[in-house]
Amino acid sequence: MLKTSFTYNQTSVRLEIEGFPDTSLGHLDGQIGVISSWKIELLGSADLEGKREHLQELMLRVLPYARYLLSGVKRPFGNNQSTVSISSYGQTHQLLLRSSQPGVEPLQIYLDDAELSDLVRCLDELRLDSRVRVSWDLPENNPLTRKELVNRVPFIQRFGAPFIGSTAFALVTFVTLLLTVELPPDENHIEQSGSISTSKNEKLALINQDYF
Amino acid sequence: MNDVLVKSGNKALVEGQKDNGDCFRFSIGRRGLERLDLLLLVIESLDFNGAEAMLFSCEELGLKDIFPNRVELWKLRCHNPLRRTTRRGALTYFESDALILLLCSMADRLYPLIHQLLSSKEPETINSQRWHLFQERLSELIKERMNPRRGGVKRFLSATSSSNIYKDLVRTLALASGPGGPDRLRASLLDPTP
Repeated sequence: MLKTSFTYNQTSVRLEIEGFPDTSLGHLDGQIGVISSWKIELLGSADLEGKREHLQELMLRVLPYARYLLSGVKRPFGNNQSTVSISSYGQTHQLLLRSSQPGVEPLQIYLDDAELSDLVRCLDELRLDSRVRVSWDLPENNPLTRKELVNRVPFIQRFGAPFIGSTAFALVTFVTLLLTVELPPDENHIEQSGSISTSKNEKLALINQDYF
Repeated sequence: MNDVLVKSGNKALVEGQKDNGDCFRFSIGRRGLERLDLLLLVIESLDFNGAEAMLFSCEELGLKDIFPNRVELWKLRCHNPLRRTTRRGALTYFESDALILLLCSMADRLYPLIHQLLSSKEPETINSQRWHLFQERLSELIKERMNPRRGGVKRFLSATSSSNIYKDLVRTLALASGPGGPDRLRASLLDPTP
């Protein structure tokens, strides 16, 4: 069984994989079912090598990152424990690779947009290559949810209109409450007020009588 | 599905999907249409013969049924509500998919140029000249084709925000090129409006 290798070239990235066909699954010569090694050469950076799992993790971080970037969302992928993580760093993209060896500092690689797209194209070519019969278990490209997209809209733009609306409503309510409203004339009220006035007049008349 | 379409360029397959009702399940929203047409405009500003190249690509991809001539292509692109002359209604899934395939194929063809524009390794003076030329041409095309009274068009033409928007558009083209590009772009065009 011959070792097979495939190379995927872009301007600043070169990805090379080596492996064997998995004859138990009926793979033919010239196909790869088991990846024995891989290597990524990034122009102006250290070469990356590792096991198949590392390549899969690189794909799991970089491809969804590119998908989110296409929707204008710069969301970091991977955490402190991940072997590979990628996040936005100013105008560049920071790729952080942690070694499984203890005491080895993580490798930081800064990619510009062109290098990132080269890397994404190389990984796409690999995962869609019909000669590489490996299941990558990558998430599908789906539309993002509103919740995921909400951070794309600036804070002022997002809350500006509701804030102005609610403030205007509160102001109008307050001013309306301050205004005195004249009620329409009520007959009972007139009668009552009339009787009061007469009783008042009578009282005044009595007082006057007493006084004079 | 679309990767198969790109690779085969098979007219029969296209027809088969046309007959299948599934192809009308998704339709790109208003924002998606605006973005798709704008990306095609970016292609035209990168390539002076962009319109001709698009027709050539249609033939290569087996999309001649949907875009038999430039008028049909123009009519579909006119669904963009920001255009001077707009058409009502939404594109079918099949039509929007054809436009996405066309765009990705054009982005793939122009990838070396897009790469040069985005690369920070290029000489700064030469790159800034390239950006200047590209921005000038894209602004002219936007003024020519889009309705300048619309807020969105004003934003594309404003000096403060236009350079960032143009860079985002070129980056979108870079990530939409290649074998996995159409799937990624389609998903992003189907994003809901936040």
